[in-house]
Amino acid sequence: MTGAGPGSGVPEGYVVCRYCRTAHPAGGPSCPACGAALDVRQAVSRSGWVEQPPVRDLARIQFGRSRVQVEGRRVPVADFSLEGEEWIYFSHHALLWAEPGVNLAAGSLGGAWNRMLAGMPLIMMEARGPGRLALSGSQAGELVALPLAPGQQLWVREHRFLTATGNVTYTWEPTGIWYVTGSGDDRETHYPLGQFGDRFTAQQGPGLVLLHSPGDVFLRDLAPGEALLVQPGALLYRDVSVSLHLHLEYPGGAQQVSWFSSYSRRSIWLRLVGPGRVAVSSVFAHTGGGAVRSQSPSTLRRW
Amino acid sequence: MQNDPASTSCLTCGAPLDVRDVVSDSGWREAPRLRDMTEFRFAGSVVQIEGRLVPVADIALAHGDAVYFEHHVMLWKDEATPVAAMPTQGGMRRLFGGMPFALTLAYGPGRVAFSRDSPGELVVLPLPPGAELDVREHAFLLASHTVGYSFVRLQGLANVLHGGNGMYLDRFVTTGAPGLLMLHGYGDVLERRLAPGEKILVEPGGFLYKDASVALQAVQLPVRTGLLRRGMYLAELTGPGRVGVQSMYVHHHAE
Repeated sequence: MTGAGPGSGVPEGYVVCRYCRTAHPAGGPSCPACGAALDVRQAVSRSGWVEQPPVRDLARIQFGRSRVQVEGRRVPVADFSLEGEEWIYFSHHALLWAEPGVNLAAGSLGGAWNRMLAGMPLIMMEARGPGRLALSGSQAGELVALPLAPGQQLWVREHRFLTATGNVTYTWEPTGIWYVTGSGDDRETHYPLGQFGDRFTAQQGPGLVLLHSPGDVFLRDLAPGEALLVQPGALLYRDVSVSLHLHLEYPGGAQQVSWFSSYSRRSIWLRLVGPGRVAVSSVFAHTGGGAVRSQSPSTLRRW
Repeated sequence: MQNDPASTSCLTCGAPLDVRDVVSDSGWREAPRLRDMTEFRFAGSVVQIEGRLVPVADIALAHGDAVYFEHHVMLWKDEATPVAAMPTQGGMRRLFGGMPFALTLAYGPGRVAFSRDSPGELVVLPLPPGAELDVREHAFLLASHTVGYSFVRLQGLANVLHGGNGMYLDRFVTTGAPGLLMLHGYGDVLERRLAPGEKILVEPGGFLYKDASVALQAVQLPVRTGLLRRGMYLAELTGPGRVGVQSMYVHHHAE
């Protein structure tokens, strides 16, 4: 965390959480906005990745008048206590339990046909207070809480979203990252970043987005123009200021190995260019094999 | 490896030195759980371990050093880190066996990071000159360029591990120079040293690695496993040497 200082814009007696970047009163074992443990040393690799610390078991995160308590370590549960008319929305399969008094309703989303084709939920459940309910993911991993300031936007990989507060709007957009392998009847279009990405925007007040990430989570701040190659399947979220495109890399000497490996050993990367924050998870899906026939705008490197 | 008495982790494998050995009553030793951000060295390069659930091996490769791996285990890399294809022996047989046809080599100077796809442990095996180790297919994360790579097919394990295709083991060999081998074990990893002639039966899906001196063969147990199913195959390992198993695995229908 970073402290207040002249010109920092952080009020006296407040500190900025090093993970969610929210200012909060100094002291306390965890950040009240994202639950990150604050009384542990920051884990930064020599290559510059900051490890997102797991939200401590039973840590509480406040939003509006409501709060969420995180329970468990391997597949953490988000246990919500909703006050008044405050509400959250989520995909129905994330619901673990709910008190009978919680008002559950279905909210539909636009673009149903495209969403169905992309394997994304067609309906978002809405849960309105007062009452308690709990949500969880389905893989061993981490719960990542992302408080959003009014007007702030965030891009999130599809299927990583667990829930968001009612004052955060949710839209989705094509990722624009694709490549085609095969020909004729075997022609196949691959979307290594998913066909669609989620975009969350906080409206008038501050909002909260919770993600479930398989594996461990690492953050990095890219300077303006700084570039990095990451596995497309590993990207978890990014500031919308970070641009991205496909990058094809062919290892040297592939032709000497065989004609087959000259294309099957290619690496398909996402090239991320700063400025902004990016997060990756250590579990990712592999990119499909075969020669790339065509692709979205990309850069290329042959070694 | 001899370490400075003040060190908290081993310089060549990253194992914590300030914790006691965890050995079960039956003789299995838990593989050391590498501490987050632990660093260790091979040749002139430095490996840093990051994360707890699905750990990442983040390598700063020195000039003249290289590591090889299956290309899909790369998590990220610096743009300037060069990569090259590395041929393997066995050509089409490897292809039909579902094993990588060619490996990828990343060489220094540069940074590159690796991880597998499920919760588990990184097993760091520094190999002295003259070592020979057999590893379950697709369990290997990376090896340094001084480690030779080949594979062996176990004829007797048809229908035990691959439903009729037999089982391949990756074989890693060092000759004149030491090397580094890193595996990803699913779940927890346990190791046991077998005495000469000592045998142990292991669920084939749980087998992770063994010294080449340990013999491996399938044995059928006369056990009913269902209404019409009779006989259950297990992997019989015979010492002398080390055997490593993983606690999380896909059960192979061994009837």
